[in-house]
Amino acid sequence: MSRVVKVMQMQLINRWTFLGVPAVILVVTFLLSYAIWVIVPGDGRVYSGATQAVLWYFLVLGIQSMTMTFPFSQSMGVSRRTFYLGTLGLFAVVALAVSTIYYLLGLIERATDGWGQNAQMFALDWLVGSAGVVQVLFYFVAMVALFMIGFWFATVWKRWQTRGMLVAWIGLGVVALGLVALTTWQGRWPQVGTWFAVQTPLSVTAWTALFCAVLAAGSYLTLRRATP
Amino acid sequence: MTNPPGVISLRNVTKRYRDTTALDGVTLDIEGGKIYGLLGRNGAGKTTLMSLLSAQNFETSGDVRVFGEHPYENDGVLARVCFVRESQKYPDDFKAGHALKAASLFFPGWDAAFAAELVDELQLPLKRSIKKLSRGQLSAVGVIIGLASRAEITVFDEPYLGLDAVARQIFYDRLVSDYAEHPRTIILSSHLIDEVANLLEHVILLDAGHVIIDDDAEAIRDSAATVLGAADAVASFVEGRTVLHRETLGTLASVTIDGRLTEAERAGAAYQGLELLPVSLQQLVIRKTKKQEHTERASASPIRTGARQ
Repeated sequence: MSRVVKVMQMQLINRWTFLGVPAVILVVTFLLSYAIWVIVPGDGRVYSGATQAVLWYFLVLGIQSMTMTFPFSQSMGVSRRTFYLGTLGLFAVVALAVSTIYYLLGLIERATDGWGQNAQMFALDWLVGSAGVVQVLFYFVAMVALFMIGFWFATVWKRWQTRGMLVAWIGLGVVALGLVALTTWQGRWPQVGTWFAVQTPLSVTAWTALFCAVLAAGSYLTLRRATP
Repeated sequence: MTNPPGVISLRNVTKRYRDTTALDGVTLDIEGGKIYGLLGRNGAGKTTLMSLLSAQNFETSGDVRVFGEHPYENDGVLARVCFVRESQKYPDDFKAGHALKAASLFFPGWDAAFAAELVDELQLPLKRSIKKLSRGQLSAVGVIIGLASRAEITVFDEPYLGLDAVARQIFYDRLVSDYAEHPRTIILSSHLIDEVANLLEHVILLDAGHVIIDDDAEAIRDSAATVLGAADAVASFVEGRTVLHRETLGTLASVTIDGRLTEAERAGAAYQGLELLPVSLQQLVIRKTKKQEHTERASASPIRTGARQ
């Protein structure tokens, strides 16, 4: 267990990677958005999707923490399982912190009438009706999902290199195509539309969590036989 | 700390990559508490062997035991083994100092003061990004981690790449003096055999995935000799012996023979006016590996060209 904590410490040796960069992205995207709201006169509600920026960084972080740190951890006498638990554990803590910050900023946003600019960045209409814990969970699983996508692809790359990437992408393409074809032939598009329409923040969170769990299990099984 | 006998044991270990066999049925016991030289040509299987000891790679068949257990997913064993690769990858966002800090987390025996001395002597710029280090500085990071970790099994995979002569000497000196104070098992893989020959207490020579020498350095030095003298006298002296190498110059011949000579044989050689010269470890390695290839070719078995990964 203590070595799992040490893996977390190792990932934090350069504090910028997991803490500094996300903080800077968050602050800078907020300030830029705010500047835009002030400069560009708008009538009615103004929106900003800049909260996504941190999420995309987490995708990159998922790739990096695997490709760059895994080979090094091997020379540090860290088992694959310990590396996996430490890295995912640390990310979970970071993602939970950022999700909570998003939620709190959302509260402030609503209390200040959209930062005094009638703006919407954190308190998404679709989400604010839900309980606080659901909002935090929603952000959390979204972040974990992006991180896991990056991490899983990097693990496949680490284990099977170009061949693995090709198979993974072609496989995903074939599955997606197959689903589209099946839905079309069965004439099920209306049902699909209805299904998406009835999803609530909680159900989306649950589906995303399931997706994360599948990727997490897949990453672990792939990592078990990966070489540095 | 003294290691119990037999810190490492390999039983019939084979490692196959897609189209090459890097290790072919290797059985090897490493008693521990010595400085071992792991020698052999490129592709002989050295890096593969070292990777298996720290479960960085997996054997195709056979069994690997380190401190009596298999190292795979075994944090208890892995914490006692330090193996920094020749082409070790470091996180891109690391500075040189970060790598040492990480090592201090994971190796229980880490000596920060010793590491600081080495940083000073090897002039490693701690604040410089790993990506911007020269080849020699990168090697210095590996050398410092290896030495200061004081891991019970420390593996150096050609640790001197890009290091200048002064830095290499610092490494050898520090290795010997620190090893004297903190005995442990050190495995040193090297191409500069003459340079490290004096450090080695035990030599393991790999060739095309086979162990062809596994013996005390002392014993190996006596295990072959070069006979120098008149061609016909040399020819009759080496009759019936395994010849590793033969050179003639006019009426003079110089023949390297495998096998220990008895006192009587030595006296006999002197009587016939033949000179017996010791064979350096480097020479012996060259002769032995060449002979091996020669025999393999003669027996028409395929020449293995192991690949390092």
